[in-house]
Amino acid sequence: MIDAVAAGVAGLVALVVLIVVRMPIAYAMILVGGAGIVVVNGPLPMLNQLKTLAYGQFSIYSLTVVPMFVLMGAVASKAGLSHALFRAANAWLGWLRGGTAMAAIAACAGFGSVCGSSLATASTMGRVALPELRRYNYSGSLATGSLAAGGVLGILIPPSVVLIIYAVIVEANIVSMFLAAMIPGLLAVILFILTIAVYVLARPEAGPRGGATSRAEFVSATLGVIPVLVIFGLVLGGIYAGFYNPTPAAAIGVFLVWSYGVATRQLSFAKLKESLRETASTTGMIYLILLGAELMKIFMSRVGLPQATAEWISQVGFAPMMVLVILLVALILLGCLMDSLSMILLVIPFFWPVLVEINGGIYQGADGAAFGMSTDDLKIWFGILALIVVELGLITPPVGLNVFVISALAKDIPMIETFKGVAPFFGTELIRVALLLALPGITLWLPSLYSG
Amino acid sequence: MTANAGTANRGRAGILRAAVLASTVWAYAGGAVLLAVVLVNVVSVVGGIFFKPFPGDFELTEVGVAIAAFSFLPYCQLTGANVTADIFTSKAPARIVGLLASLWAVVAALFAALLLWRMYDGLLSQKEYGYTTAILQIPVWTVYVPILVSLLLLVASSAVSVYCRADEEPEAASA
Repeated sequence: MIDAVAAGVAGLVALVVLIVVRMPIAYAMILVGGAGIVVVNGPLPMLNQLKTLAYGQFSIYSLTVVPMFVLMGAVASKAGLSHALFRAANAWLGWLRGGTAMAAIAACAGFGSVCGSSLATASTMGRVALPELRRYNYSGSLATGSLAAGGVLGILIPPSVVLIIYAVIVEANIVSMFLAAMIPGLLAVILFILTIAVYVLARPEAGPRGGATSRAEFVSATLGVIPVLVIFGLVLGGIYAGFYNPTPAAAIGVFLVWSYGVATRQLSFAKLKESLRETASTTGMIYLILLGAELMKIFMSRVGLPQATAEWISQVGFAPMMVLVILLVALILLGCLMDSLSMILLVIPFFWPVLVEINGGIYQGADGAAFGMSTDDLKIWFGILALIVVELGLITPPVGLNVFVISALAKDIPMIETFKGVAPFFGTELIRVALLLALPGITLWLPSLYSG
Repeated sequence: MTANAGTANRGRAGILRAAVLASTVWAYAGGAVLLAVVLVNVVSVVGGIFFKPFPGDFELTEVGVAIAAFSFLPYCQLTGANVTADIFTSKAPARIVGLLASLWAVVAALFAALLLWRMYDGLLSQKEYGYTTAILQIPVWTVYVPILVSLLLLVASSAVSVYCRADEEPEAASA
């Protein structure tokens, strides 16, 4: 057994080394996972498994929702929904001090409710809101910082591609995961808007008031959000109400967003082709990593590394909460180095089984569990916490992808200003993580209503 | 000497261009399959409300998405969509980074070839045992056919990307 565990540890070290020397993460996982299985079980079972493994993995029904939501997000970012959302949010909030930045946050949240990607949200809303923020003389760091932070809402508010991937890896119910993300997501919106309010209280010149909106503009801007509400209602509302599975819901979403784009004449054939190419890149990348993650998962379970780690942790005597906090901090640190999707796929197949072992096994109920909740609840709670902390990597140096996206749009503002601008939001996010850690009920309440 | 180098470059650009064209067209074909899956699902939901549910929409979704996902892989390989953690090598000389990229492209080509070989055997056994999908009775081996084409293209595009990639030489790819 010692030998098997040693092989597992050697595999993890090899994986890290390969990723550091710039091997694509998917191939590093495929190579280490595949080689590891061959070392443990010999080549023949592996060669046999490869006959059907890839097809089996690529045709899992619960994964089919991923390309659908990717496509929906890609089409949504070209269909002009972002203009309508920002116009309405600005009509409601623009008259406040810092109001246009608050409107950008609200519009990001609205866009996040039809799009499952942070980068798409940041770049789409950035293109719409940045010129307005500059027009009202917002300081460079507040303008770009709010947009980079607001982009994170794209993934925190369901639908969320990262959350779907997590649900598939740990075999959780996607609907429960989406429900669990709702209240923490709204909490993020409120906290972000409060952050801006406090920021402009300290520095009034950073976010001047916008002009008052005429009654006619107010009404027409507000009515402009109706299509988004309808799409959100039919897609997520339909899922929550149990009318259909996530995949048909996402298909309906693609259809509606596309129809909206065609009806408003924003979606040309060229843009449709562009969204298909984006979908191809993202989907191909995700599926290849999923194949690698499956091989790593098989390798890890054959050598029994998660169990051995959990045993070691209990021998050393770490408290369960301590382990959870260590894992979350590790995710924040890793998030500084790689993008959120690959990170979830890379570490969850290892982190999650360790937590299961600590909690008392996969069928552990709430009584006597190390975390004081059933393993099913732990799955949901940890998923939301992990989602939030991996997304923090998008706004922290050195690889803050959201910051890069916004900086590319605002060439006259130095990137350091944008990083300064997101710093207060980063602080707010840490407060939010602490809140969710201290009060699991915030996350678990909605899913508990759903499951009965 | 310079003339030779020029021809070599043109030849290289030509191969890259052909590979990018083939993988892009193939990815669009996969995209069309994905759009068809979208339609099947919409028809199934709307039909389920007003008429009767579409039989086998689950299987068509699984099969269609699998075909589409495989068809995207060659395009991802050539456009550098497969994510890497660049941070550790961001200060390394370009020559070393290029060498590493070529080395990993070799690994990709070898893996794609291995998977092509294994899944070809997979196709043969699916055919031998006559496996079909549950409701529509689609023979599974027929689904493997477009997937093997995708894998063949993946071998080719990985081999090409040992020398050059579309995201590194956009002028060669688009010229």
